[in-house]
Amino acid sequence: MPSRQAGPIGRVRRAKRAGRARRAGRVDRLAPFVLVAPAVLVVVLLRLWPLVLGINFSFTGDGELNGTAVGLDNYLALLDDPLFRTSLRNVGLLVLLLPIAVAIPGLLATFIHLKVPGHRVYRGVYFFPAVLSPVIVGAIFTLLLSFDGPLNAALGGLGLPPVDWLGDPDVAIFAVVGVHVWATFGMALVVFLAGFSTLDPSLLDAAKVDGASFVQTLRHVIVPGLTRTIQFVFVTTMIGMLTSMFGLLYVMTGGGPEGSTYLPEYYIWMQQGRFDRPALASAASTALFVAMLVVGLAQVAVLRRTGKED
Amino acid sequence: MKQRALWSVVLAAAVLVAGCGSASKSSSGGGDGKLVVWDWKSGDGDVAGYVEKAKADFAAKHPGVEVEFVAQPFDQYYTLLGAAIQAGKGPDVILFNGGGQLRDRADALLPLDEHVAADRSRLAGWDAFTKDGKTYAAPVTLQGHPLYFNKALYNKAGLDPNAPAKTWTEFVEDCRVITEKTGARCFAQGNKEGIGIQFFLSAMGSAVLTPQEYDSWIAGKRNWSSPDVKRVFELWKEAGDSGLNNDGANSTAMFNDAFAVFQSAKAAHVIGLVSDVGHWKDFGEFIDPADLGVMPAPVVNPAATPSLPYDGGIGYGVAKWTKDPKRAADLVRSLTSADALKAFHTGAGAIASDPGIDVSSAGPAATAIVSAIKTGKPALHVALPVKTVDLMGRLSQQLLSGSTTVDDVVAQLAASDTTG
Repeated sequence: MPSRQAGPIGRVRRAKRAGRARRAGRVDRLAPFVLVAPAVLVVVLLRLWPLVLGINFSFTGDGELNGTAVGLDNYLALLDDPLFRTSLRNVGLLVLLLPIAVAIPGLLATFIHLKVPGHRVYRGVYFFPAVLSPVIVGAIFTLLLSFDGPLNAALGGLGLPPVDWLGDPDVAIFAVVGVHVWATFGMALVVFLAGFSTLDPSLLDAAKVDGASFVQTLRHVIVPGLTRTIQFVFVTTMIGMLTSMFGLLYVMTGGGPEGSTYLPEYYIWMQQGRFDRPALASAASTALFVAMLVVGLAQVAVLRRTGKED
Repeated sequence: MKQRALWSVVLAAAVLVAGCGSASKSSSGGGDGKLVVWDWKSGDGDVAGYVEKAKADFAAKHPGVEVEFVAQPFDQYYTLLGAAIQAGKGPDVILFNGGGQLRDRADALLPLDEHVAADRSRLAGWDAFTKDGKTYAAPVTLQGHPLYFNKALYNKAGLDPNAPAKTWTEFVEDCRVITEKTGARCFAQGNKEGIGIQFFLSAMGSAVLTPQEYDSWIAGKRNWSSPDVKRVFELWKEAGDSGLNNDGANSTAMFNDAFAVFQSAKAAHVIGLVSDVGHWKDFGEFIDPADLGVMPAPVVNPAATPSLPYDGGIGYGVAKWTKDPKRAADLVRSLTSADALKAFHTGAGAIASDPGIDVSSAGPAATAIVSAIKTGKPALHVALPVKTVDLMGRLSQQLLSGSTTVDDVVAQLAASDTTG
């Protein structure tokens, strides 16, 4: 072997090998950084850097003040704008309506799991709206809910006065949220059904033997057994409500009537696209980002806690 | 192995960088031999003849200069344009809606006055493309708000369709008779997006405001506390409260549900448009063109003189970053040449900005509109800032639902108009 050779030739070979080893060591040290570089670059260049630019942009002015720093003016303008306040109030309303949006797929999944007659059909039918685009759903319900539409005709048949579902500012937001829940609960239903498959059937049998009513079974067996699933559905439904109602709003109400169905997303779009105020839109985006960050952190906390329970 | 991994990383990075580089190239400003036009029209088949005529006219003046039309989706148009303006580069020639959409972006455009001087008397509708005395675009179509009526319903109700009401009182009485005899409402009204009030303000404005008030409104000196201005919003509220409108106006979209109400003879009148949609051509497909009438706004204030409210509808402007302003302005002139505009009128069913174009084949309603252009005035709502128009939409919905008062509406609009 070369290392045993004495003399100048051996020394040169040793030196060469040491050089190779050093180079190999350097490559070994650098390789991980090089290998993660594309991912890091994509995240930094395409996500974080635009985010920083956007936040920075939200501290500049619009129109004639384009490019000049205006401090917190945009944020003060947001707080002063009744439309933005309405959009935040509507976010609060969505949070309040969240338990209903979770309870509906939960209850329906329970019925399917308890094998009510026709449960196979219901499983498919309930999921069906989840594959429709919000634009199609919105267009269909705009027709159904229009003042001279079929729903009001049915009410009239029952001797009830018509309701201006999308034209009454006190009703419209509930109509849109209702349609959103109808269109998206199929996904939550599937998650619930998956949760049910982890539920120990012997517990349900035991409850049945003990003569528990449906409500008692639900309260003492099903809900405690599905805690983690319910938490997961809560978080995902909340995020869905905050980020994917734009299409429905755009088609069904356009933010109206009287601006009563504005959500932050819609507000941002209006400021940027209609009023040509990109910096104000950036400020609103930053505000929405902070709200989403809070929801996201809450999600992480919830998932971590449920992870510990395993 | 390591070397191969390194190479693939380098390759991936190179692809990434190349991708970033090329993304911005498409459809931005033209170089030496090319002009880029942004619009939302050129993709439609019915304006192909117009584009062809305009291109031919331009090619005769500037042979060898390529013109690329980039049709953007209208929903995203001003968002995309906003991004281009923010970046300081983009198309050379830009299609605009007249009024606020253009004025809000005038600082990104070149004044065209010296280039289009020769077209000034031939074309109408310049005001909508003018800000602070400078012209930023040349009109292609006119957009206006005539009061259309269904002559068949008038006949059915025993009214003379050739002598429609001259005053508001007579008009309301005629409407009562029509509803009684035919079941049709007076107005097809769609205010879901707040558009109903814009049309109503402009169509009824000249019948309520005195000519002086009207002219100062357009000139930007709006007296929101004037009783006549207040009267327009009172009329709006009265029309809603007394059942002149179809039911559920606040949840009826003007485009196209309200127009559908008129076309299906469920309402006798509608304040429509003159170009693009909701106009004589659309209505003529459902109502016999001979039964489609256009009447002047019924007079509310004896001191007022009703006139057709119209403005430049769409028009082409030149971006200030274009390399050769003269050449881009020549393209704008080609896009508004008489031949091209004639093709636009017949293809897309628009009232073109050149009133000299023969429209007799389009029916009596179109002829009545064109003949009213000479005495017409700019529409009141088009003169308002976009922000105020949006607020007016929401407030008008509150007026219909009864959750606010006319005084409060006028006060809020006055505040919005001054801070705009």
